[in-house]
Amino acid sequence: MWNVFLNQFGRTPLTRRKALWGMALVAPNVLGLMFFFGIPVLMAFATSLQQWNAIKPPVFVGLDNFTRLAGDAAFWQALGNTAKLLLLTVPVEIFLALNVAIMLNQRLRGRGFFRTLYFLPVVTSTVAAAIVWTWIFQPRYGLVGNLLAPLGLRDQPWLTRPDLVLFPIAAVTVWQRLGFDMVLFLAGLQAIPRVLYEAAIIDGARGWQRFRFITLPLLSPTTFLVIVLSVISGFQIFDQVYIMTARTTRGGVGGSATTLSYFLYQSAFVQSEFGYASAIALVLFLITLGVTAFQLSIQRRWVYYEAGER
Amino acid sequence: MNVQAAEQPPAYTDLSVPLKIVTYLILAMGAVVMVMPFAWMASTACKPPAELSTLPIRWIPQNPACIENLNRLYRTSPNFSRYMLNSAIMTVGRTLGQLVTCSLAAYGFARYAFPGRNVIFALCLGLLMVPFQAILIPEYLLLRQLGWLNSFAALIVPGTFSAFAMFLLRQAFLQIPLELEESAMIDGANPLQILRHITLPLSGPALAAFAVITVQAAWNDFLFPLVAANTPDTRVVTIGISLLQGERSTPWNLLMMGSFLATVPMLALFVMLQRYFIEGVAMSGIKG
Amino acid sequence: MSDKRWLMLVVVLSLLVMSFAGVRAQDEAAIAAQPCDEPGALTMWVWDENWALVIGSAIEAWKADYCPGAEVELQVQPWGQYWDLLKTNVAGGDLPDVFNMSQDRFFFYAGNDALLDLQPYYDEAGVDTSLWGSGMIDPYRWGEDGDLYAGPVNWDTIAVFYNKDLFDAAGLEYPTADWTWDEFADYAAKLTDPEADVYGAAVYSEYQTGYPNWIAATGTTPIVDAGRTQCTLTEPGSIEALTYLKDLYDQGYMPSISILGGASADDSFNFWLAGKVAMVAGGSWKLPAALEQATFNWDVVKLPMNPETGRSRSIVHSVGYVASAWTEAPELAANLILYLVSDEGQKFFADAGGVAPANPAMQERWVESFGETGVNIQTFVDALQDSQGVTVFDEIWDKINTELVVNIFDLGMSVEEATQQACEFIDTQLPQ
Repeated sequence: MWNVFLNQFGRTPLTRRKALWGMALVAPNVLGLMFFFGIPVLMAFATSLQQWNAIKPPVFVGLDNFTRLAGDAAFWQALGNTAKLLLLTVPVEIFLALNVAIMLNQRLRGRGFFRTLYFLPVVTSTVAAAIVWTWIFQPRYGLVGNLLAPLGLRDQPWLTRPDLVLFPIAAVTVWQRLGFDMVLFLAGLQAIPRVLYEAAIIDGARGWQRFRFITLPLLSPTTFLVIVLSVISGFQIFDQVYIMTARTTRGGVGGSATTLSYFLYQSAFVQSEFGYASAIALVLFLITLGVTAFQLSIQRRWVYYEAGER
Repeated sequence: MNVQAAEQPPAYTDLSVPLKIVTYLILAMGAVVMVMPFAWMASTACKPPAELSTLPIRWIPQNPACIENLNRLYRTSPNFSRYMLNSAIMTVGRTLGQLVTCSLAAYGFARYAFPGRNVIFALCLGLLMVPFQAILIPEYLLLRQLGWLNSFAALIVPGTFSAFAMFLLRQAFLQIPLELEESAMIDGANPLQILRHITLPLSGPALAAFAVITVQAAWNDFLFPLVAANTPDTRVVTIGISLLQGERSTPWNLLMMGSFLATVPMLALFVMLQRYFIEGVAMSGIKG
Repeated sequence: MSDKRWLMLVVVLSLLVMSFAGVRAQDEAAIAAQPCDEPGALTMWVWDENWALVIGSAIEAWKADYCPGAEVELQVQPWGQYWDLLKTNVAGGDLPDVFNMSQDRFFFYAGNDALLDLQPYYDEAGVDTSLWGSGMIDPYRWGEDGDLYAGPVNWDTIAVFYNKDLFDAAGLEYPTADWTWDEFADYAAKLTDPEADVYGAAVYSEYQTGYPNWIAATGTTPIVDAGRTQCTLTEPGSIEALTYLKDLYDQGYMPSISILGGASADDSFNFWLAGKVAMVAGGSWKLPAALEQATFNWDVVKLPMNPETGRSRSIVHSVGYVASAWTEAPELAANLILYLVSDEGQKFFADAGGVAPANPAMQERWVESFGETGVNIQTFVDALQDSQGVTVFDEIWDKINTELVVNIFDLGMSVEEATQQACEFIDTQLPQ
């Protein structure tokens, strides 16, 4: 019995020893995560089978919360809004961050200064961001209104019109995550050995070719990291909805700016339906997990690892 | 290391002058939007009450009141420095803890095959996929069960584990050529020694990114400390700032002064660390 | 004392007598604090640092004078997360022994039996609860006998803040307390100056300062009736008030929500402070900000009267202290609350300025705490007389506060359609 178990760890003493080392190395973080966050997550998922208002004792209701969710138009709307925001933000965010990182990786005077400027949104207070972004989209005195005035788009109620409100939210999401992604890309760019470029220059490769055949493939582990992380956080867009709608409609007219995590928050802390909110969390988790698993499974097609992982 | 590296020629050939101008223009245009909310924060921190609601927005206060606002902030919130200190303790504790737990785990996941490796990795990532609002109450119950409410243990210990940092470092380690580690292994070094003496030193920029992001996340953490430890002794600065806002009054200048003070250490850290986002010296000589 | 001030004092006093029948003789306290039976330990939650300072000094005095040996752990929580934290704690079976409560949230906690009935303690201490205006405390009553579950800390009412300089520039007389909706509309039209980018008025904003005051003036209870049995937004009074306001908006006398930058009362008020609007509806809590920040001459005046009913009505709101139903020291908790609402405990609020103390004996002291301002602060006390208590509750708060006004005053939806939509939602949220 014991041998069968051990055999799973590899057939030779060396692979067995490597497996044990691997498990020992990951153990502290994995166990810590499971204890401090895994347990609460499981508790939340258990709550999804209950009806609970936080005061009265919970009542077991089986899958009622999920059947209700399936028939709740507000849920489908929130899911749709979340998907739209993901499509509006992730590609733009990654494209911009990659370009900014590449520009700021050049030998430019003042690049440290520019890097700091692009990092500012990460540390700027959310309240300040809410004020200024509301002002930016304010139709009369705001920046966007004045910039678009020549196109006859002045006085557009960006933050209240159901068909427009997702654009400002997407803008502030990209704004906030750009500096974060830039940091990751900068680190990734630095890990590319310079000799490769030097060799390529000697071979007469042009700038675009160097980018296409050296930078992109060697940066791909970082790009993969950034994509996975921005999709995960894109599924949870919450602060940005707050930033852009806190002073007007709090989630958009008719829920037009409500994302899944905003919907979850409202179900839990406004409506006091903690079981229902947990059901939303579980569904959100499963969707994100599915998308991430898909990304992990196709990574070997495009992500290049030095050490030839897997 | 950075001094030496700064003198190295860049990876790319120098840009031509027109391309440089275009680059600067694009960067500058983007920078305006990046800076605006921060600028509002800084300028409001120095506005006297009479200038708080001017329209159009006044970016530079006519009668700057920086010192007065600073004094008023400390009058309203006498323990503000203590809150900053608590934030610093929490941040340092979490960052050092993550440096150990997450680099070990990242190394294990990157280099050692063991049964269930991918599943366990996916499970860890899965924890990032549940919005914190959903586990607010269970997290509170857990900390309460442990008897950790209102303690530094609650502020620090759970934060020393991270799926995000583990993922980040794993990706970085995977970019490092195996040959170096293998030769050390032949010399009889154990995995911990290899990690300590070869892998980590080769991951300079990734560690800088880890530091920037982890420190920033710990310093700005709000909901977790709020649930875990909101007493005068353990209160962190993000909560301290939010306490300035009342139901009926929002003293914007004090609020922004507080936010500004809290931002300064993060900016200083970034300015310091961004110098490590230059080519890792050791890396350039390895492959060829 | 000048003749004018003397006259004002007489008016103040007579109004007090009118509005609070049974006011006691001057040397007798309206609400007297009492020594506690047995000292013990309490936890207490409040929001924001300013309140914590005022309440903290009141608690110190209570401990010294009425309950030596008692311990109170006063915990300040951020206003923005106060209710979320309260729910998190309640989920763990913890509630602070004493905590601040808001009228729109009371319903949830009382309805789930989480609060201590304070009525027996008031009866025992001989407190005549009718001393507080009904708008102030009725929302804190619960149960078949209408027991009072809270101690009211403060009140706030609504009035019109107006920019005197803009009135002067337009050559208009300042408004007086007997003005009507028609006159208000007339002023708004004359004060609007598109070229100078100045609007006449901004008075429709979110719940407490906005349109519900105008609905109340028609005699209709705004949003939902007091028993929370039905939505009242589609009733004629609501339609009348909203249509009146929408007309002003349609004429261009009031800015849209997008122009204001938000639907909150603060957004309208900041617009007024910036000199962009001549008349704004504002709460009594805005007095300190206006005194500190306004760069022009200004004053306050009562909300105008509805021409048919002849009534000018303000929403009144009162923050309360409540005690947990699960507290281990109910007597002590009730004793602390009694102190905090007594004449002695309320002095701390009166003297701090800004927050108007609920105890009627403290009104004058509160008015005087502002010093010589040239502003008719008494207006807010007067507004208590025909005031309207809060009937809305948490679950519908966002919807009626923001969505209804955005639909009408930003997206141009008709009053009928917007109110219809709002009522459809509210109906799903009313308790069965």
